[in-house]
Amino acid sequence: MSAGFCFSKENMHGRRACRLIKEFNSGEKGQLNHFNEELLNEVAKECSENFLVLQSLIRKMQEEGLDFQTTRNADHYGALINHLSLIRNKRCLMAYVYNRAEMIQNLAWTVGLRLFELPEEIQEKLSHPEKEYFKKHSSALESYMSKVDLDLNDMVPPKDPYIKVRVLDDVGEGIVVSDKAANFARHSMHFLKRTDAELYISRGLMEELTG
Amino acid sequence: MENSRETGSTNDGAASSQNANYYDIDDILAEEELVPVVFYKSANGVKVDPTAEKDCVEKGAKVELPFWLAQELYLRQAVSLSIPTCFNQNTRREIQADAACVDLKSRCPYFYEFGCKIAPLVGDRTIGKMLLSTFQMRYKEILTKAHTTVYAPASKSLAVLTKEEISLHEAARSSMAAFKKWRIGGPRFQRASVLGRKRKPTE
Repeated sequence: MSAGFCFSKENMHGRRACRLIKEFNSGEKGQLNHFNEELLNEVAKECSENFLVLQSLIRKMQEEGLDFQTTRNADHYGALINHLSLIRNKRCLMAYVYNRAEMIQNLAWTVGLRLFELPEEIQEKLSHPEKEYFKKHSSALESYMSKVDLDLNDMVPPKDPYIKVRVLDDVGEGIVVSDKAANFARHSMHFLKRTDAELYISRGLMEELTG
Repeated sequence: MENSRETGSTNDGAASSQNANYYDIDDILAEEELVPVVFYKSANGVKVDPTAEKDCVEKGAKVELPFWLAQELYLRQAVSLSIPTCFNQNTRREIQADAACVDLKSRCPYFYEFGCKIAPLVGDRTIGKMLLSTFQMRYKEILTKAHTTVYAPASKSLAVLTKEEISLHEAARSSMAAFKKWRIGGPRFQRASVLGRKRKPTE
């Protein structure tokens, strides 16, 4: 009888998948790591190997004239272990992709809706399909927000309905803000309703003054 | 909880209890913890016994399998399970002496989750009680320290905590920080946490 106590060997069932999950989990909480395409492909390859062994064991049982539904021999248990390993590997792969996708959706909500708005160090951690996913999620979000005419990314409630702004460009005269005409000359400062000013701020014509 | 079923029965029971956590990284890692098993049956075409010369495992072989594999084989009566080392008498004696000081992280970072999974299988009714009393004794300590100690990521008291305990500790810390911020006031717009901590620009 052997007293072997090491399932940790690299070629054991499901080891690579576990490494992939551990890698996802490493580092600071909530931070993306580089998409590990190499390891992902290795796990996918292991799935195919599991499947091939499974098939060959069932074929062997059929050739021996055994009913593989009811026979419980070494080949049956071998097939079972390969089947379970395949399912496990699949779960790890799915979890890896799914959890990354969740974080990528989050980027659109918290950082920006355009890929170029993301910092470079985050962009380079994404795989190509993940970038596509980000773009599609962003555009879905954007079209929804324009339909309901509401900026859902702005989740911080205003402290004060009025803000102080400085005019950056020649806005031109004759603009009426909340039925109050003012002279919006360049560099002039005003105390406006936040809702009125937002439009001009986002266009870069005014800037908010704090403090 | 699941009981042993007919050998070769479908996987439905296990699948449905698992589905809720299917994508859960911690659940996946908790099921990676090793369980000592003895094979009742031999199996071909598998790499589970590192001492075997070929890709197979003999009847009577003693190996450690990850929980996800051990559980399914046990339910099909292909292996017998023994209690993993992290729940053995030595650990229990240490916990009885002073639960808060026991290094559970190095024994098993998913001590409670793994314990809950293994308890119905090994038929040891004391595991559940042991988990509960361990958690009760450690919980108080965790919360107290979370509110009082100065933040130090590599601090000694954190090094012995399990994954779940660390999240509790962090939850306590962040709620305290949020409360302080609310009282004092401060910037309302914050940098997205996914971007990581802001690095100071190099001069």
